[in-house]
Amino acid sequence: IELERSHYSDHEIRKLEEEEQLKRRKESMHDDDDEAPGKTVVMAQDLEEKWEQKLLRFKAAPRITDADKNDIRTSLNRKLDRNLMLLVKQKIGNQELWLLPQAEWQPGETLRSTAERAMSTFLGDHIQAKFLGNAPYGLYKYKFPRAIRTEDNVGAKVFFFKAFLQSNDLSQAELKEDYLWVTKDELGGYLNSEYLKKVNRFLLDL
Amino acid sequence: SSWLPQLVQFRGSHWQTSLLAFKASLPMRVQPKKKKKVDIKREQAQKDRMKKKIRKLEKAAPEMIPIEDFITPPKYSDSSRVRSLPPLSFEETERRVLLMKKWSLYKQKQDEAEKKAIQTLVAAQQEALKELRLESEELYQAAIRRDDGLFPFERDGPSYTPPLPGYDPPEGKCIDITKVYTQ
Repeated sequence: IELERSHYSDHEIRKLEEEEQLKRRKESMHDDDDEAPGKTVVMAQDLEEKWEQKLLRFKAAPRITDADKNDIRTSLNRKLDRNLMLLVKQKIGNQELWLLPQAEWQPGETLRSTAERAMSTFLGDHIQAKFLGNAPYGLYKYKFPRAIRTEDNVGAKVFFFKAFLQSNDLSQAELKEDYLWVTKDELGGYLNSEYLKKVNRFLLDL
Repeated sequence: SSWLPQLVQFRGSHWQTSLLAFKASLPMRVQPKKKKKVDIKREQAQKDRMKKKIRKLEKAAPEMIPIEDFITPPKYSDSSRVRSLPPLSFEETERRVLLMKKWSLYKQKQDEAEKKAIQTLVAAQQEALKELRLESEELYQAAIRRDDGLFPFERDGPSYTPPLPGYDPPEGKCIDITKVYTQ
């Protein structure tokens, strides 16, 4: 409680007055014999004790959940004080890689709608997510290995968008294969170094 | 028999005077036979007076709405409410000064890190937009467009402990007693 820069509050003044009254009653026991047994006044001290007991009875939910202790990375209940990102295992070319969910851009749609489509393919249709603007946040360029290169497609550019997930429950999500919810530090264990470098630039950590 | 007409006359005059006085003393609401011009003039004079009053009130500057947060209610400036605390010890003051220094250093580091992060963020975004422009102008224009659904942006931050499953909050009514001032 702030003691130095505050005055007494109403509750404290009441408590002080009642203490003084009690003292006076104890000193002059003979006078107040008529009043004391009859009244049952609620004292400020009693109120405080009642409140303390109520506080002790209340138990808050623990900050470190079960998923944290068992290191289950597929649940959203991990690391409640950090931001979590979705990683999905996708097949690109011949390899199966861990990536942020991506979908190929179809001509005729904006980049943001591509991102929304990617999200709906991986998380289901009824997901409420708030997209932060129309512009991409980051970029990753890579060249295809020589075997696949044709004249037009030398490589690919991956644009990244950010979105906040609004709803907590993903029970309706049809997540196939492997997916993980990871924080920024754990990303390094899953992504390639180049990819990781570019991604790290636009991901804010707490 | 000369007194009769005298009496009648006297009564007539007496009656008349009393009647007149009687009529004049009553508050006159019905004015059936008074002249119309007097009425119009009186009413117009009344209207002008009212208009002048209205104009004066409008010209006077509007009253300031008091901000209730800045006015301390007088009952809290009583001297009986002042606490009597023992003075701070030397160790306590030393501890506080050192704590303040550490805290300011920590905050400075945090601030620097934040600014750096924002700079990298912006740089990455600019790069992405440049590359997008090289790809296709149309997509670039679509990306640059303002997103109206973004602001006002609201988001509930996390609380210190996660919500208890199956918690039943105690019921109660919330009565709003804020005072509303109109100008």
